[in-house]
Amino acid sequence: MFSVDRSQIGRRSAPCETEIEKGALRRFAEALGVDNPLYYDLRAAQAAGFRNIPAPPTFGVTLPQNPVPGLVLPEAGLIHGEQEFCYGEPMVAGDTIGVSAWLEEAKSRRGARGNMTILTIMREATNQYGQIAFTARSVLVVMEELTP
Amino acid sequence: MTGELRMWKQGDTLGPWTEVVTRRHLVQYAGASGDFNPIHYDEEAAKSFGLPGVITHGMFNMGLLARYLEAAAPPGGRLVSFRARFRSMVQPGQTLEITARVIAVSRDAEQERAVVDVSLTVKGQPKAAVAGQAVMMWRDSWGDPGGPSS
Repeated sequence: MFSVDRSQIGRRSAPCETEIEKGALRRFAEALGVDNPLYYDLRAAQAAGFRNIPAPPTFGVTLPQNPVPGLVLPEAGLIHGEQEFCYGEPMVAGDTIGVSAWLEEAKSRRGARGNMTILTIMREATNQYGQIAFTARSVLVVMEELTP
Repeated sequence: MTGELRMWKQGDTLGPWTEVVTRRHLVQYAGASGDFNPIHYDEEAAKSFGLPGVITHGMFNMGLLARYLEAAAPPGGRLVSFRARFRSMVQPGQTLEITARVIAVSRDAEQERAVVDVSLTVKGQPKAAVAGQAVMMWRDSWGDPGGPSS
């Protein structure tokens, strides 16, 4: 099932708070084959000016969030088209990060392979000091569901 | 700034770095990211959704770009922004070539910045599967690492 309620564009979900765990950062870095000591060693992180071990640049998309107002995404037929991050205060182990998300734009197109909807979803992550850790923009393409 | 390593110059090319994608990558990334969409590890599920087989997470591909870019950067740099377009699929067994090109460098009294285009191409394919751009920044000091000052 897929539905968009355009009247909800711009309405933010309630923040979903998560504590950033050192082990989660390590496993994420390992999964990407990262060997930079910054992401494993507290001393290396502090020497580089971080409060604690920082999150790898793309870690933010793994943080849980509440449902995006106005949007129900389908289980299949979803393509991740683009992703962008703008970074603020570095997100580090031990931080409590609140993520809220909203639908920024929804465009419908008639494509060669059927109808598609292009969604822009924004996320804003704030730390326990009220500073913005990052904002993220995702472009998702929903292909029209084929009915048998 | 630090004087430890020459700053990038406009036009510098970085890489290519190669990475062979394996199923282990997909499973490990699924676990670490919490994204258990079966198209990334279940061959039959992937095919039932019209895919040729399991494909990597787009965010795995973008994470690889970040890894190689950060490893190649002059020390002390931090990402200001990072974006990527996912143009085509990547499958296990494929060899990826990652390259980057410094397209602009600027400096003022407090910081240096570089804009870098970075892309990931499946070996043998003419166009990049993922094309991205990053802005990095270097400063003499990032403030008190004991806690935020504001």
